[in-house]
Amino acid sequence: MAIITKQKTPDRPAPLSETSVVGWLQKNLFSSVFNTALTLITIFIIYLTLSGVVVWGYLDATFVAEKRRECYDNSLTGACWAGVIAWLDNIFYGRYPREEIWRIDFGGLLLVAWMLPLWLSKVKGKILIGASVIVFYPFLAGYMFTGGDKGWFMQFMVTGAITAFVINMTNMLVGLLKNTSLDVFLMQLSGQADAGDKTQRNILLAMVATLFVAAFLWQASWNVTEVVWTKWGGLFLTLVIAGIGIASSMPLGIFLALGRRSKLPVVRVLSTGFIEIFRSVPLITVLFMATTMFPLFMPEGFVLNKLVQVIIAVILFNACYMAEIVRAGLQAIPKGQFEGAHTIGLGYWGTMGLIIMPQALKHMIPNIVGNIIGLLKDTTLVSIIGLFDILGMLRSISKDVPWVGLHKEPLIFGAMLFFIICFSMSKYSRHLEVKLSAGDKH
Amino acid sequence: MKLKSTLMTMTATVAILFSGATFATAETTLETVKARGNLRCQVGSPSPGFYNLDSAGAWYGIDVAICEAVAAAVFGDKTKLEIQSVSSQQRFTALANGDSDLLSRTATWTMSRDTQLGLDFLQPNFYDGQGFIVRKDSGITSALQLKGAKVCVTTGTTTELNLTDFSRLNELNISNVTFEDFNVRDDTYLNGGCDAVTADKSALAGNKANFPIPGDHLILPETLSKEPLAPAVRHGDNQWADIVRWSVYALINAEELGITQANVDDMRSTSKDPNVLRMLGAEGDLNTGLGLDKDWAYNIIKAVGNYGEIYEAYIGGGEQAIGISRAGSLNALWTDGGLMYSPPMR
Repeated sequence: MAIITKQKTPDRPAPLSETSVVGWLQKNLFSSVFNTALTLITIFIIYLTLSGVVVWGYLDATFVAEKRRECYDNSLTGACWAGVIAWLDNIFYGRYPREEIWRIDFGGLLLVAWMLPLWLSKVKGKILIGASVIVFYPFLAGYMFTGGDKGWFMQFMVTGAITAFVINMTNMLVGLLKNTSLDVFLMQLSGQADAGDKTQRNILLAMVATLFVAAFLWQASWNVTEVVWTKWGGLFLTLVIAGIGIASSMPLGIFLALGRRSKLPVVRVLSTGFIEIFRSVPLITVLFMATTMFPLFMPEGFVLNKLVQVIIAVILFNACYMAEIVRAGLQAIPKGQFEGAHTIGLGYWGTMGLIIMPQALKHMIPNIVGNIIGLLKDTTLVSIIGLFDILGMLRSISKDVPWVGLHKEPLIFGAMLFFIICFSMSKYSRHLEVKLSAGDKH
Repeated sequence: MKLKSTLMTMTATVAILFSGATFATAETTLETVKARGNLRCQVGSPSPGFYNLDSAGAWYGIDVAICEAVAAAVFGDKTKLEIQSVSSQQRFTALANGDSDLLSRTATWTMSRDTQLGLDFLQPNFYDGQGFIVRKDSGITSALQLKGAKVCVTTGTTTELNLTDFSRLNELNISNVTFEDFNVRDDTYLNGGCDAVTADKSALAGNKANFPIPGDHLILPETLSKEPLAPAVRHGDNQWADIVRWSVYALINAEELGITQANVDDMRSTSKDPNVLRMLGAEGDLNTGLGLDKDWAYNIIKAVGNYGEIYEAYIGGGEQAIGISRAGSLNALWTDGGLMYSPPMR
C-alpha cells in the first residue's frame, strides 16, 4: 500500500516554536511556572541594576563643572564626570608637556601605520614587516618620546627606522595596486626583471643605500626638545612599560624555554633556576627589589633611572611566564617532527626556527595573549612605587584640591578603558587563531 | 652564585646602556646638586594642600613650595627642580641612598626618626594635630563622649596608634575600623559605617569641605597629638641642612618684615631697614656660610613669596587651597600668638 510519487515532498517549515520570537521565549524563559517566576525575578534585578547605573552615571551626572562643589550643587547623588574630563590629558599622557603631546600621538599613529600592512592580505613580505617593527620602531618611537640629543647609535637606528618605514609603505602601495611585492615591481620598472639574482640584489642594495643616506641627512635636521622620563605618565606610560615588557620578554622567554629543554646541563640548570626563582615571587616584590634594594648594591652615587629599573623587573618577571608557555607549546609537537627535520639535514637552530617554532607558536597564541593581557593589567602595580601610570593618575584626581574625594568615577572610567583595550586584544587573538589554523580544517 | 653575578652584570650593563648612568664621587650635597643642575625633592603620593598634581600635570602645595624655595636659593630658578613622588615605605631609604636631596612631605618630626634613621629634621613648615570629625546629628561635641564608638582611621600611620592610646587613656573602648585609602574611609563614614573619622585636623578640614553637605559635620575641639611636619635631610651634611633650614626661616622672616613676592624688588632698593637689606643681600655677607649667592633669600621670596603668602595659596583661602584658617592656629606668626618664629638673620 505504498504511495510512491516521483516528486519529492516539499520540506515542512520548522515548527513555530523554533522560529518565532514568541516560540523561543516560551521554550526558554516561560516553560513552567517556576521558570516564569525565575525569569521575572531576573528581569527585575536587571532593571534595578541598570536603572541605578543609568540614573547615577548619566541622568543625574554632571559633565561640566569647575570643581566638585559644583557637581554637588547640580546633584548630590549623581556621578561627577567633570573631574575625569578635566584630567583626561593627565590620564592619557601623564605630566608630558602639553605642547609636545603630538609626539605621543604621532608615535602611536606611526605604529598603526607600520602594522597596517600585516592586516592586508594582498601585501607581500609580512615576516619582514613584522621584524622591522620589532627591530626599528622602538628606536624611532623612543626618540620621538624622549627627544634631546641623538648619539651616533640612535642616529643610525632612527635612520634605519625611517628607511624601513618608507620601504614598508611603498611595499604596501605596490601590493594593493599591483598585487606584487616591491622588489619584483622595482625590477619590472627598471627593466631588469630577467637579470641574474646577483645583479638584482645589487640594484636593490644600491636603492636602499641611497634611501638610507637621504634619510640620514633628513633626520640630522630633526630637533625635538628633551622630555625627561619623570614627565611620562598615564596610559602612555602603562603602554610603554607593557609594550617593552611584552616585546622583550617574548624572545627572552623563547630562549629560556629552549634552555630549559636543552641537553647541556649548565644551560638547563641556569634556565630552570632563573625561571623558578622569578616565578616564585610576586611582581610587587620584584618591583620593590628593583627600585629599593638594587641601588643599595650599586656603588656610591650610582643613580639609575627608576623607569629602566621597573622595565627590567617587568621583563625578567614576564619572561619566566613566557618561557613556560613556550615550553608547553614545544611539548605539544610530536617527536616525528624533530626526527623529520633531522633526516632532511637540519641542525638545532634550523629545526627549531623552521619546523618546530612555527607550529608551536600557533598553539601558544591563546596563552600568549592571556599573558599579555595579564601583564598589561599587572603594570598598574608600578603606581605603588611612585610612578604615575594610569592608575596612579586616576587615584591622584581625588587629591587635587578642586576634586578632593572624587575617587569612584575615575576608577570606573579606568575599568572601562581597560575593558576596551583587553577585550579588543582578546578578540584579535581569536581572529588570529582562526586565521592561522585555516590549514587544519580538512 | 654564578647565576646571580651573571644576572647582576647583565642587568647592570643593560641599565647603563639604557640610561647613561652617572657616577658621582663623594661630594657635599650642595656640590652634587649644583653639578647635576637640579634639586631632587621628595614628596609622597599626592596629599591635598601639601603636594598634589593639578589637571595640567604640575605639582603644587605647601611642601612643594618649600622645594621650590630651596631650588630658588641654590639656583636662583625654582624650576630647576625634580619632584619625586615616593611611597611612604620607601621615603627614608630614598633619602638615605642619595636618591633624594631633600624630603619635604608631611613627615612628622619625632625623636626616634630624628635620632635613629640617619635623618635631620629641620624647621617645621606646618604644625598639625590629630582630631575627630563626627556627624552633627549624633549630638557629640567632645571626643570624651565617643564611648564605644566605631572610628574610621587610615592604617600604617601614627594616627592609628594615637587613637588606640587615646582610647586606652580615657577608657573609651573605641573600636578602630581601618582603611588603606582615605577616600574609602570617608565614604564608609558618610554611609554610616562608623561614628567618627580621625586624622590630622588639616586633612579633616580639607575633606570635610568636599563632603556632600559640609555643614552636617563637626570637627571636635580635642587635639590628640602633636604633628610638627618638617622637611628633612640626610644626617651629617651640616651645610646642606643649614641651606634648607635657613630657606624656611627666610620665608618666615620675610613675612615678619613685610616682604612679599610683589614688593621684594622695591624693598631691596628703597627700604631703610637694615634687617631687610641684610636679608635680601643688599648689605652684609649673610650668604657666605651657606655657600650660596648674595641673592639667595631675594630669589626665594621672588620665586614663591613669603610664608604667609604660601599658606594662603595652598592651605588658607586661595583658589587652590584646602581652606583652613590660619588665625589663632599654631601656624600663625609668633607675633600673632603662633609658633612660626625665625631666629634673627644677621
